[in-house]
Amino acid sequence: MEHIIIIDILNIALPLLYFLLVWVYGKAFFADFPWAKELKSKILFGIILIHFVYLLDRTFVFNHPPATTIFEILTLLAFSVAVSYAFIERLSRAKETGYFILNIAFFFQIASSLFIKDLLEVPDVLRNPLFGLHVTSALLGYAAITISAVYGFLYLMLYHEIRASKFGVIYKKLPNLETLERMSFIAITMAFGLLSLAILFGFIWLPKAFDDFSYLDPKLVGTLLIWAMYGTGIIAKKRGGWTGRKVMLLSVFGFVFTIFSMTVVNMLFSKFHNFH
Amino acid sequence: MNLLCIGISHHTAPLELRERLWFSDDEIRAAMPKLKEAGFHECVLFSTCNRTELYVVTAEADFRVDFLKKFLIEQKSAQSHVNEENLFSYFASGAAEHLFRVASGIDSMIVGDVQILSQVKSGFNLALATGTAGFFMNKLFQSALHIGKRSRRETHISEGAVSVSYAAVELAQRIFDDLGSKKALVIGAGDTAQLTAKHLLGKGIGKLFITNRTQERAELLAKMSGGTVIPFEHFTERLAEIDIIIASVNADKYILEKTDIERMNKGRHGSALFLIDIGMPRNIDPEAKELDNVFLYDLDSLNGLVHENVEKREAEIPRIREIIGEELAILFQWHSALQASPTIAALTQLLEQIRKEEVEKNIHRFAPQDQELIELVTRRIVNKILHTPIVNLKNGHDESHNDRLTKINIIRKLFGLDARKERSHAG
Repeated sequence: MEHIIIIDILNIALPLLYFLLVWVYGKAFFADFPWAKELKSKILFGIILIHFVYLLDRTFVFNHPPATTIFEILTLLAFSVAVSYAFIERLSRAKETGYFILNIAFFFQIASSLFIKDLLEVPDVLRNPLFGLHVTSALLGYAAITISAVYGFLYLMLYHEIRASKFGVIYKKLPNLETLERMSFIAITMAFGLLSLAILFGFIWLPKAFDDFSYLDPKLVGTLLIWAMYGTGIIAKKRGGWTGRKVMLLSVFGFVFTIFSMTVVNMLFSKFHNFH
Repeated sequence: MNLLCIGISHHTAPLELRERLWFSDDEIRAAMPKLKEAGFHECVLFSTCNRTELYVVTAEADFRVDFLKKFLIEQKSAQSHVNEENLFSYFASGAAEHLFRVASGIDSMIVGDVQILSQVKSGFNLALATGTAGFFMNKLFQSALHIGKRSRRETHISEGAVSVSYAAVELAQRIFDDLGSKKALVIGAGDTAQLTAKHLLGKGIGKLFITNRTQERAELLAKMSGGTVIPFEHFTERLAEIDIIIASVNADKYILEKTDIERMNKGRHGSALFLIDIGMPRNIDPEAKELDNVFLYDLDSLNGLVHENVEKREAEIPRIREIIGEELAILFQWHSALQASPTIAALTQLLEQIRKEEVEKNIHRFAPQDQELIELVTRRIVNKILHTPIVNLKNGHDESHNDRLTKINIIRKLFGLDARKERSHAG
């Protein structure tokens, strides 16, 4: 009972906390508040911890990973975006882009908190720990793809501002073009690694879990295509030295293709590969 | 506050006069003791390319402005070039305010100049080392340095490039992450090209190439900047390896056509190419701007950036004035507290308060007939304790200015008189 109360409290608190986080990152980016610059990464870390407790609590109380409904997936996505961003911020040491990325986490969390239900009854197949690993790694991977696309978008914005000699807030506050490109590439590399794990866990778990499993399932094919597409991109960048605007455009197009694959294909064509 | 400031700056004299009154550190070391001998309690002198300023503290009502002006001019034997009208003077609070304006950067030729603060600090340190800065100057210059730091921390007074050459380098930093891994080519050896090369080197550019129609001038610039010369006839052959080009030559037609840039771009796999065209007429075909990953800027676009930054810096001046006002108020409060009379009054009040509190707390322990006596005895004790310090504070005329201020300051600190004053104000 106590745990359910904690879950209910955190369910209300999380959107507010993400709003606070976005607000602090916004104050640091647009208004240059020194306290906001000082505190933002610490607040991010704190909220990630709280969100992790929330997800863990849900998993234990309802006895299944929180990935069985679209609204459970949304909170997991919000968490994935925050975690992936925290990693990239730490790796690249560029802290100016959080406002743009964490807004995504905020909107995912608000949608989740508004409609999420406390499901105690779910198919047994969704209680398997491999399912949790499969979905978590896949969602973290897609979150990293989303973040990469945001960096791609920011790169293109800055690219056009500099070329058009517009020296506004985007010019002044965003990291330089090469850093944005590097951050996007870190996100893509993370996404590729996580999707590889998701595919691996999927290939172990899916055939055992579903009688009608098929290697030709559109969602599976779509995921493999996305994985191969990003893998090719990483090799092209590393070996072929691809860089600049076109690469960042590809990052944005890759994201659009991923969204298409994960929504349209999933809704219209996928058979067994729907967990909710 | 017997403070006086005499000086010359870009507001009062052109460069050829300012340079006549420029003092090296050795010259400052030699001049300062002479002022002490002339009866000035404390003095600080500093010199930059835009100003030479002398601050003195004197005990006399007559500041001897003419003497000090003559002193500065004669020290540099500049009598035939500089006259007293080229020098400005500020008195008392005006002098303190002027120093604060200088340290904050709003009095600089380029508003928000970052170097002035370290120059003020060096001047003060030099005075400390020569023993000509004492108690008052220490407080004054510490306040000035504090204002300089606050101005840079709390406002945008020093942000954004305000010269074409620096704007070019700032732009390069918005494109490239690590200039240390980039190669730059300077075409021409004019002033702006030289300055841009200097700024690029200052930001750690990986490799600097220089080319010019006149080989000797290229070699001279290369020698000054540590760059490598490429013969003008062959520079186009090296373009593929270059990331940044600064073009500044006199030429009737473009020295870099769009097709040259296109060719450069081909082997770069999309790496950014940053081109600065400060030639007049322009050196690079402006149509090259349309090419992917090419960032081409001419004088107009760079001037636009500079103008925008200057306006933004100027917009910060009212806020800096507020900071100066706040710090001036603190300085005045500190200074007026350093007079003997307010210190004696504060000390007497403090001891009387302690006496009263203790008597009130313990008076019930005494018989009613003794209570009046207790009041009398404790008052006498306090008066006796206070007698010697008060006499010493009042009779400090034979002491040096510095010793007297130090003594008052120690008393104020030992008895917490300033903290008490602040508390009573807050209450």
